[in-house]
Amino acid sequence: MAGNVIEFRHISKSYDETQVLKQIDFEIEAGKFYTLLGPSGCGKTTILRMIAGFLQPTAGDILFEGQRVNDLPANRRQVNTVFQDYALFPHLNVAQNVAFGLEIKKVAKGQIAQKVEEALRLVQLSGYGNREISELSGGQKQRVAIARAIANEPKVLLLDEPLSALDHKLRKEMQSELRSLQRRLGITFIFVTHDQEEALAMSDQIFVMNAGKILQSGTPVDIYDEPINHFVADFIGESNIIPGKMKADYVVSFDGHEFDCVDAGMKQNEPVEVVIRPEDLDITAANTGQVNVTVDTQLFRGVDYQITAHDVNDNEWKINSIHKTTVGQLVGLAFDPEDIHVMRYGEDEATFDARLERYE
Amino acid sequence: MKRDHPIRWSNLYLLLVFIVLYLPIIYLIIYSFNAGDTMDRITGFSWRHYLTLFADTRMISIVLNTVIIAVLSALLATIIGTFGALGIDQLKKRSLQNGILSLNNVLMVSPDVIIGASFLIFFTFLGVKLGFGSVLLSHIAFSVPIVVLMVLPKIKDMSQTMIDAAYDLGATKWQTLTRVILPAITPGIFAGYFMAFTYSLDDFAVTFFVTGNGFSTLSVEIYSRARQGIDLEVNALSTLMFLVSLLLVGGYYLLNRYNEKKKIHRAKASQEVDDA
Repeated sequence: MAGNVIEFRHISKSYDETQVLKQIDFEIEAGKFYTLLGPSGCGKTTILRMIAGFLQPTAGDILFEGQRVNDLPANRRQVNTVFQDYALFPHLNVAQNVAFGLEIKKVAKGQIAQKVEEALRLVQLSGYGNREISELSGGQKQRVAIARAIANEPKVLLLDEPLSALDHKLRKEMQSELRSLQRRLGITFIFVTHDQEEALAMSDQIFVMNAGKILQSGTPVDIYDEPINHFVADFIGESNIIPGKMKADYVVSFDGHEFDCVDAGMKQNEPVEVVIRPEDLDITAANTGQVNVTVDTQLFRGVDYQITAHDVNDNEWKINSIHKTTVGQLVGLAFDPEDIHVMRYGEDEATFDARLERYE
Repeated sequence: MKRDHPIRWSNLYLLLVFIVLYLPIIYLIIYSFNAGDTMDRITGFSWRHYLTLFADTRMISIVLNTVIIAVLSALLATIIGTFGALGIDQLKKRSLQNGILSLNNVLMVSPDVIIGASFLIFFTFLGVKLGFGSVLLSHIAFSVPIVVLMVLPKIKDMSQTMIDAAYDLGATKWQTLTRVILPAITPGIFAGYFMAFTYSLDDFAVTFFVTGNGFSTLSVEIYSRARQGIDLEVNALSTLMFLVSLLLVGGYYLLNRYNEKKKIHRAKASQEVDDA
């Protein structure tokens, strides 16, 4: 590995009174697929625009391959962006759009034609070179925008919610295409999205953001299985979050019972939150599981049933089950110690990682 | 096709309006072929007014002057106005932008007579000799606001990310301007140019003040001749100019149709590629 392509050191950004980024630190390794995930207004697009060079941080340093690039203008950075609204040039045709960056760089004519051909082939648009932009469908415009960016052979490709304007089926297709494109090219992709499903499906590494801060970074599996706090657990996937107390290492109490778990390193009787994913819950006959609940609603979703239920302490439970049940029925819920994930209140990422390190 | 009503009232109204609009011109055209010297009655067919017109070198040179002034003033006004519009768009402060735009609009609505008179005072104060230069300058001045008004909406319509994309792909400010921004607002620039052109061609009031001796444009010349009684040579000239405008409009229409046909043809061709 070539090491870090991009590094953010204590980056902050403020507009007048409002601080949109607070002390952002991260490192981007070459050749990986990164996703900045968060709700709208969390600052993820601000980070992307800083990497592209459209915005300057109020404080902190941006490093590109070890060099400070804070003051390097956008047109001289070796990154290219795929914009949310594609931002194609309507007066140029497909091939001319893709060739734009190469012509600016004064690449030889023959080479341009060859690179344009290659870029269009990569996004499966061979033979579309002479089309006008107005003749293309949304998905095709998206591909042209990607081809235009990768034709320049950037070190890093930035993608600003590029799939949000596509319909569900096309979005799924483009997700796997982008993923395989990234693998083939070996370029670092930084993808911005508010769609957690998209982030989980595509990324090597996810940064979950909220309110100008990176809350957690890690692989999709890490973040899904071990969310750092309530926000992350709630934002990534569906979850049951129940307040509890840590009784001892590997023992947590919630809902009036004590359960074995796989978490440790907390103070005795520390108040915590417990996360159990709806798909980890199995419905059993009443009194044979760990908790008894009464089924409130049941929704058929094709792959499974989405069931909501409540227990005697009025905690609400979400269950995804492939087996049907009956509304109003008392059922048992079975889960294993590994299905329980304990989160502390206000733990930051460094302590969280250190604690996990200790007992894993 | 509906045929319940023998007369469509809306069509009849339209016909009436066009008759009222075109009648004076047709009347003028008919008398341009009159053998007599007045528009009282037609005494016979003759080309003699046209022959006088072509022999009238003063009139021909004034026509040329008018066209040159229109072409040049529209061109310069388009350049100034386009960059002006780009500049207004760049202004960060909303209030400043609106203020400048209002100043621009005031020039649009203020009466020509006032603009003309103020230019006359201005030029005499500066000691500028009245003639071609003063007419050109004043035409540029009243055309710039028109161009700004035609170009600015096109700039506003342009997506900001398109400009970002140009920078992102390595373009400098100048390259972004020439390769992305100007092509995107070209329709507005053309519309501005043609508006400025027609305004300059038409203008009487402003020109009247700043022509001075020895230089004249068509509208001023016709006005001064009309004061000595209408000469049918003017009818002949008007007829010719009407025909030229008719040809220009017709040509524009045909060009548009041709482009559209080409587009449809291309779309069909690419459809076939898809099907194959």
